[in-house]
Amino acid sequence: MADDRPGQILAALGGAGNVVEIEGCITRLRCELEDGSVVDEAALKQAGAHGVMTAGSVVQVVVGPEADAIAEDIQDLL
Amino acid sequence: MTGAARVVRSPVGGTVTALADVPDPVFSQAMVGPGVAVEPRDGHGEAVAPIDGTLTTVHAHAFVIAGDDGAAVLVHLGIDTVKQQGEGFTLRVAKGERVRAGQSVVGWDPAAVRAAGYAPIVPVIALDAQQQALRPAGDGIALDAGDELFAWSD
Repeated sequence: MADDRPGQILAALGGAGNVVEIEGCITRLRCELEDGSVVDEAALKQAGAHGVMTAGSVVQVVVGPEADAIAEDIQDLL
Repeated sequence: MTGAARVVRSPVGGTVTALADVPDPVFSQAMVGPGVAVEPRDGHGEAVAPIDGTLTTVHAHAFVIAGDDGAAVLVHLGIDTVKQQGEGFTLRVAKGERVRAGQSVVGWDPAAVRAAGYAPIVPVIALDAQQQALRPAGDGIALDAGDELFAWSD
């Protein structure tokens, strides 16, 4: 991907060290984090997220239909 | 408006339901686009392609088909069904394949989804479309798979 969204999203999730697992699911990134409380929702929205849903250590970032490609790019950064 | 509206067909037989009633904010708040949901009839069935086009994304429980004009439709079989990890879903086609509207894409069983504790409702989303571009079938109408679910104009 020719943009830096994957990097911005990863940073907003607390960086590679905070990510246990990340998976693309059609329109959203399903992220299991070490610590869900450090997520920077404003930064995620700035990186293009349509919405963010947090349930404890599981955070869903709605990024639209490119979710699968973005998840792969983030995995490359881990 | 230019040209004729696209016809988007119901991927499953069932009852037309407002997207706002889908128990997932991504769909109910139309975060990825407007659309219509279908509460599927029970019984093993086939989810069919809503439009002619190419499968750009395929999971066992959800897929996206992009038409030749770039307009893409997302079909999601049930809510949170990613957690079933494909169990009970049988893919009939692969990513990148061309399909015709009405062609089977996934075999599944809504009753089995419900038995596993998930809502089997099927949101059908016009990705990145404007709400006013859709003319949906009315809530509560019973449809068969392949019937017109909504018209989508530019």
